[in-house]
Amino acid sequence: MVKLTIDGVPITAPKGTLVIEAARQAGIMIPHFCYHPKLKWDANCRMCLVEIERVPKLQTSCSTPVAEGMVVRTATTAVTQAHKSVLEFILANHPLDCPVCDQGGRCDLQDFSHEYTPTTSRFIEVKRIFPKEYFSALIETQMNRCVQCLRCVRYCDEVMDVKALAPAGRGTMTEIKHFTHHELDCEFCGGCVQICPVGAITSRLSMYEYRPWMLKRADTICTYCGDGCQITIQTKENKLIEVNTAHGAGRNNGDLCARGFFGYHASTHPDRLQHPLVRRNGELVQATWEEALGFVAETCIRLKMEHGAEAFAGLIASRCTNEDLYVFQKFMRLAIGTNRIDSSARYGQINGVRALRRVQGTHRWAVTFEDIVAADALLLVGTNITETNPITGLKVKEAVKKRTATLLTVDALVPAVGTISNIANLAAHHFPVHPDRFGHVVLGLIKAVVEDGLVDQALAHRAPAYVQAIGDAVQALSWPALESATGTTSGALREAARIFARAARGVVLVGQGVLRSPGGYGLTTNLLDLLLLTGQHGRPGCGLAPLAEENNDQGAVEMGTVAEYLPGPCDLNDPTARERIAGLWKEELPKGPGRTLTETLEEARTGKVKAMFVVGENPVGSLPHAARAKDALAQLELLVCQELFLTETAALAHVVLPACSYAEKDGSFTNTEGLVQPVRRAIEPIGESRPDWEILSALSVLMGYPIEYGDAKEILKEIRSLIPGYGLLGAGPNPPRPDEAVVSRYLREGYAEDLANRYAATQPTEKRTGHFTLLVTQSLFHSGKFSTRSTGLLEIQNTGVLGLNPADAARLGVTDGDRVRVSNTLGELTAPIKLLERIPEGLAVFPEHFDEEARRLLGVSTDPQTRVPYCKSAQVVIEKL
Amino acid sequence: MAKSLKSWLKTITFYEILVGMKATLKHLLHYKPITLQYPHEKRTLPDSYRGMLALLRYDDGTEKCVGCDLCEAACPSRVIKVVSAEVPGEPTKRYAKEYYMDMTRCLFCGLCVDACPVDALGMTREYEWAVYDKRQLYLNKQQLLAIGDRSFPVREKKLELQHLNVAFFNVAFKHLPPKEG
Ligand code: SF4
Ligand code: SF4
Ligand code: SF4
Ligand code: SF4
Ligand code: SF4
Ligand code: FES
Repeated sequence: MVKLTIDGVPITAPKGTLVIEAARQAGIMIPHFCYHPKLKWDANCRMCLVEIERVPKLQTSCSTPVAEGMVVRTATTAVTQAHKSVLEFILANHPLDCPVCDQGGRCDLQDFSHEYTPTTSRFIEVKRIFPKEYFSALIETQMNRCVQCLRCVRYCDEVMDVKALAPAGRGTMTEIKHFTHHELDCEFCGGCVQICPVGAITSRLSMYEYRPWMLKRADTICTYCGDGCQITIQTKENKLIEVNTAHGAGRNNGDLCARGFFGYHASTHPDRLQHPLVRRNGELVQATWEEALGFVAETCIRLKMEHGAEAFAGLIASRCTNEDLYVFQKFMRLAIGTNRIDSSARYGQINGVRALRRVQGTHRWAVTFEDIVAADALLLVGTNITETNPITGLKVKEAVKKRTATLLTVDALVPAVGTISNIANLAAHHFPVHPDRFGHVVLGLIKAVVEDGLVDQALAHRAPAYVQAIGDAVQALSWPALESATGTTSGALREAARIFARAARGVVLVGQGVLRSPGGYGLTTNLLDLLLLTGQHGRPGCGLAPLAEENNDQGAVEMGTVAEYLPGPCDLNDPTARERIAGLWKEELPKGPGRTLTETLEEARTGKVKAMFVVGENPVGSLPHAARAKDALAQLELLVCQELFLTETAALAHVVLPACSYAEKDGSFTNTEGLVQPVRRAIEPIGESRPDWEILSALSVLMGYPIEYGDAKEILKEIRSLIPGYGLLGAGPNPPRPDEAVVSRYLREGYAEDLANRYAATQPTEKRTGHFTLLVTQSLFHSGKFSTRSTGLLEIQNTGVLGLNPADAARLGVTDGDRVRVSNTLGELTAPIKLLERIPEGLAVFPEHFDEEARRLLGVSTDPQTRVPYCKSAQVVIEKL
Repeated sequence: MAKSLKSWLKTITFYEILVGMKATLKHLLHYKPITLQYPHEKRTLPDSYRGMLALLRYDDGTEKCVGCDLCEAACPSRVIKVVSAEVPGEPTKRYAKEYYMDMTRCLFCGLCVDACPVDALGMTREYEWAVYDKRQLYLNKQQLLAIGDRSFPVREKKLELQHLNVAFFNVAFKHLPPKEG
């Protein structure tokens, strides 16, 4: 710690702190433009000059670290004079735009001018005027207003790693430009908009709609991915105006991705359902809440009398709040009396949770975002993290770029510079393998660990049989086979294994490429084996982090809305848990079995299930045609959907009840690292829509099993009585420690049951020449189908474009924008293509958000252990049209 | 004795009352009305009179208002509502797409006029705004411009180069995202 005095205030600050930061912590604001705590200092604006005793000239406080005994003065005549000249210089070229500038009212230049300038200027020359160029449909620039602080450029490079912006020109004629002659093409994270201290870069989506003082703020959580970024939704007269976030707030610490920043209009799309709909004579017609709920309650009571509670099933989207999820499962279990519940966590998240529970007895990560940043070695498996979990991706980038962590990546994409960042570019070792061979790389790593004596000594003592068994299993694999499957050398694998094993802190991140692909559960377990073997398991700051795709995937599991769990999550058949929950609910729990998504659909098809409640989930629109979800749901005698829009599934329903989006309700989301964060209402419900839990609660009253709450807080209180401490606000997540008893059990016997399967390097089906692997994946600019209703995101991406490697495209004789036919035995689709160097040869990538056609081509297979439906890839033939 | 006679005289002549009504009686005798026979007679208004508000135009007929919302912020009784937007066809140029004044609430304080950075608001000398239905006092942009047109026939000259960024705009916007949604 260093002691210094700023304006007479004695301050102690850690060594290396910059004077400007030390002053801020002491409550002294030093005016600045180019400094930002997120960025490396640049000291180009000279606004932050201060006087330091025994230093002859004024110093820039943003680049001067504190020193012992330093005496700093921020308000002397010399400093004020300096402020005046700097501002006079900036204003010499600044237009009188405040009345028409969107930054007006929250502009640093305005504020500082008010505080520090004389109101006159000595400059009489003509001001600098830049020709205005079209920049992009979402981000607007007004370079006449730029103060050339380069924050935007540095943010885009240092934090985002996109490098889309650069200064062009010299001196006062410096202008911020993007690189191409086309419009801006980047990640559209909105970071430059947020970080620009003046109105030189603004959002076109909310342009001229507001003045900062008119806006009402609601701090809530983004609904578009599992990262759970804190966003502030700003509204004016119940209209969504803009979204931003503050440095220092939330897990994202002031960063957002395009979905969070530009995707907010989805909630107020004109297609939102505003009234309940009831099917009459085959048509869905508008009805009152009383009619609709009355009809549902009556039919449910009748069907329950005729067929029993086991003829009911429920499905809920993990986009709902914890409160919705909790009331849903309670409604299904008590008011209906069935355990046939599942949620969209089944699409992949459950693989991660099951593996974690099996090996370490926790259902959450044992690490946090901070641990990712602080890690020495990071292993990313099967995740295009930039596109699925952008903010977790930023943590990885921060670890690598700022803290020089070593990054190892196993993914289908190859390193290449593109318009959006690519995590593989930062990797020390990247293993670009075909998506069905991630497992081989992991086996190779484990084999290297065993063969090169990298096995943790403590583990070897603790569980010799386990080490022996895995050792034997990997010995049985041959290097040449692994090398040919992965297209890499044993040397590279050994090197990567060595880096990971020797690292002081190692974290493994596993993404959708694993969790949503065949063998996902086994491979996740193998990764835990790798952590155990290298001794990276159980140490603070080390562990496995499965990345959640949907914002509340984790909450859906913890609220017990999956087939195998009760709230907690506790195993459905765990007698003590059942007793405890029944005691709190003062009601017997249903005895019947849980049923997963695919099983439920199968039972609906065979007529075993007669009625279904579907809340926000859209199996017809998410599963491939091969899953025949539509046929199954069409068989039902009662299908009740609670939805925002008339989705493919809702269109089949007998009753559609309008639900509120995240912007209209209170509650909480649990993010991928297990942090429960509050969701707050920003606008009034659209039309007659109501929060999901309220609808279910009203139904339960009509059915004679009242499950009533005053508000969302009361539900959270009840959740807390089941799961102590749930959702109590804290500074950050408090990750669970692995349960040593469970780890011991796993090391003793738990590993054995499927060892042979997990460690078999199944010879991957040789690809037939001319065939491509079609991957239907998430894009950075969308999330599920919800975001495809958002005006802003549609500006960036509004159609399904097939991504292809340029070499493949050349072979097919097509180029950017040409249409191709993609087909296999199941069906075909035509789509325009885009050449992307990050896509390897032999792969074709299609965004799942526009997959109406693409879903025809996909098959489904189900995980034998976790019943996760795998349906994201297919073998196809691509021809030029 | 003399004292009581004096007081007796004062009593029978109601002397005290006459003293009290002196001013009244004076007016009664020298009657000179000060009430104006409005509407037949009208006052000469002082130069600083603050009457009906109006929106002004430049000499070329373009609206001065740039839709900055500052008048709305300055108004103490929330009379003004500005809906600003981009001028169709003139990218990044701001104007008031809609502009409303609820004159039932206006205090005629003139703070909005002071706040306006482009002198787009003026206070006219119009005060005859009695209406049968007070909803007629909710004025829109066209009405306010019309008031300005009739009250301020002499208009300010539009500055040259006022909208440079438009003059220099070199690439046409292809598709602007719709603002609602
Ligand atoms: S950037 Fe700030 S000072 Fe410049 S015109 Fe905009 S509000 Fe005014
Ligand atoms: S929006 Fe684009 S240009 Fe701006 S910081 Fe993000 S990636 Fe860079
Ligand atoms: S655009 Fe904004 S952030 Fe970028 S250099 Fe100019 S003033 Fe700074
Ligand atoms: S989509 Fe995910 S990363 Fe993007 S802002 Fe929302 S929560 Fe954050
Ligand atoms: S202050 Fe003037 S320019 Fe701004 S909105 Fe009001 S009338 Fe228009
Ligand atoms: S903030 Fe220190 S020089 Fe810009």
